[in-house]
Amino acid sequence: MNEMTRRHFLERSSHGLGSVALASLLNQSLLAERSRTLPGKAKRIIYLFQSGGPPQMDLFDPKPQLEKFHGKEVPDSVFNGQRLTGMTAGQASFPVAKSTFNFKQAGQSGQWLNSDLLPHLSKVADDISVIRSMHTEAINHDPAITFFQTGFQLAGRPSIGSWLSYGLGSENANLPAFVAMTSNRSGQALYDRLWGAGFLPSKHQGVRFRSGKDPVLYLNNPEGISTDLRRKTLDQIGALNRIHHQEFYDPEIETRIAQYEMAYRMQMSVPELTDVSSEPDSTFKLYGEDARKPGTYAHNALMARRLSERGVRFVQLFHRGWDTHSGLAKQLTQRCKHTDQATYALLTDLKQRGLLDDTLIVWGGEFGRTVYSQGNLTPNGFGRDHHPRCFSMWLAGGGVNPGQSIGETDEYSYNITKDPVSVHDLHASILHLLGVDHKRLTFKFQGRHYRLTDVHGELIKPLIA
Amino acid sequence: MKTSEDFGAQGEVPSHPELLDWLATEFIRSGWDIKHLQKLIVTSATYRQQSNLTPKLLEVDPHNRLLARGPRQRLPAHVIRDQALSLSGLLVEKIGGPSVSPYQPKNLWIEMSMGQKYKQSTGDDLFRRSIYTIWKRTVNPPSMALLDAAEREACWVGTKRTNTPLQALTLLNETAFVESARKLAERILRENPDDPVTHAFQIVTQRTPRPDEKELLTQGLRDYLAHFKANPDAAKSLIKIGTSSVPKDLNPVELAAHTTLANVLLNLDEVITKE
Repeated sequence: MNEMTRRHFLERSSHGLGSVALASLLNQSLLAERSRTLPGKAKRIIYLFQSGGPPQMDLFDPKPQLEKFHGKEVPDSVFNGQRLTGMTAGQASFPVAKSTFNFKQAGQSGQWLNSDLLPHLSKVADDISVIRSMHTEAINHDPAITFFQTGFQLAGRPSIGSWLSYGLGSENANLPAFVAMTSNRSGQALYDRLWGAGFLPSKHQGVRFRSGKDPVLYLNNPEGISTDLRRKTLDQIGALNRIHHQEFYDPEIETRIAQYEMAYRMQMSVPELTDVSSEPDSTFKLYGEDARKPGTYAHNALMARRLSERGVRFVQLFHRGWDTHSGLAKQLTQRCKHTDQATYALLTDLKQRGLLDDTLIVWGGEFGRTVYSQGNLTPNGFGRDHHPRCFSMWLAGGGVNPGQSIGETDEYSYNITKDPVSVHDLHASILHLLGVDHKRLTFKFQGRHYRLTDVHGELIKPLIA
Repeated sequence: MKTSEDFGAQGEVPSHPELLDWLATEFIRSGWDIKHLQKLIVTSATYRQQSNLTPKLLEVDPHNRLLARGPRQRLPAHVIRDQALSLSGLLVEKIGGPSVSPYQPKNLWIEMSMGQKYKQSTGDDLFRRSIYTIWKRTVNPPSMALLDAAEREACWVGTKRTNTPLQALTLLNETAFVESARKLAERILRENPDDPVTHAFQIVTQRTPRPDEKELLTQGLRDYLAHFKANPDAAKSLIKIGTSSVPKDLNPVELAAHTTLANVLLNLDEVITKE
């Protein structure tokens, strides 16, 4: 359904002009009912994007056989003619590097997780469903992350959060439907378009919440304009716009009046939302003391809970630095140290609050990493290059069948041997869990109906409870 | 033609095909003169109609497909900024040269890219027309992006035009808009201190305020004056925003109150809309 049809429908269905502005505010929830055609359990989603490409064989996909292959060349039969990145294609040797970290079975389900790196996540192993057989078409960061965010490798399409904002709207009139947050500046670059609306109306673009005193751009009044004075000026703007509306009758003016009011409500509600100091000590015990510090992953994870609690449809965290081309052991330890506890805390916190049942959590990066060493295979110096052919992600919460690992890879964690899952399949399943049929959420642009999944996407059956 | 990005079989059928045909042949006849065509359109009786709606028009033709009224549309991002700079006298109309880096919230670039820092321009370069603003595609100039400027990631033919709370926050609080309000206040106080409300209203709307509008604004100005008289430090903070010099001969309380008035005026729907 496109925007014009929607507006037309609303204008038709509302009697009298006073209700037009109201309709334009309510249209999101109206549309929500129309897009939610399946009995999806999840109402909202928190997507923990691990930017850079976490190594699957060090975290979720144990390969004990690598012990005997360690230091030996990866056989040609495993490469099978694959194109490598420019960073390692020229290497004379491709020695296998086993994981230097230990795996253990965790929980009742006995899922294999890396107990050195993910001690906290291991405690909630029964709540997560790992997909070990993810694959992607891209081998470099930009196209790979763009593919994950928009379903297409080239920039210009709407991001998944924008699709959901368009399809399901917001549950909270004072906050945007789609919020993005970033942590760890020292990693691969991120871009505004990763949460951009593409060809969808720009109100569906993700709003980045930043650390610092202006969490939303231009939220704060200029120095010297107090809240009271702002209220007065908004009353003036509203009154003058209403006078103008009487003459011009344009429903856009009514929408503008309503949006200025919403801006004020955001000014009132966002500072309370981003101020975590009112959280009890137990929160910081759970998430870690880092959660007190804006800009950290732990803080963003806590913010994700606070945003979800308030009905924000799509919260997406981007944590950078998983691009471990060298010094993998040290880097990976750091990344996990900064994220593992907070991720576990978020899951646990949502569960305690009864929110995990209808909140979908997704964890993953844009691709995996190679089993062979980038550079020389030294104990501390070695790294891993980008690997699109197989990698691991996990999902939890709203409608997910937990406590299992889906898919299998070969003994090198190089090729998928069972149940491959494409990025389109993941998108289709995420929408499904939110009650949206990925084939029916469309937007007509340049002569055709676009979908997040384009012409692809099969549901990951075992994932869906 | 609603689908300006698609004139093919998948596009919408135009509302006035004969008119389009005629305009096309006229375009050819004039020797492909774009200026001639634009002039012809904007000086036509159809284009120059009033853009007022009536309940009946809204019912019969909500999207003005039949052109029974003139267009009424929010101004594009760069025009809104340029207009504010121009009305206040800040706009620098120099042509050409390298891109400039106007005000931007701190650390936007460095938070997103690997170590790149935004180096804000100084002096005149802060107030050049918005087409000269540097455009980093990975981190758009935020006030432009929020007001629906094309993202420059993919080719756009149509225009996006949304109406959001973040746009309200931008126009209310962004430095260039606040500084424009202050310079506009200064202009009003110098040009017509006896009737600043009428004068300011005329500058931003090109019309005389109706009695009820004038009364509202006058009452508002009185409130702002009282507010800043009671909070002189707030007045000083407000008029310090931006980089252009603060006049020593104007009373800070008065300047701040008129800045607030100008801030209101620059946010009116009528002011950011072409009608």
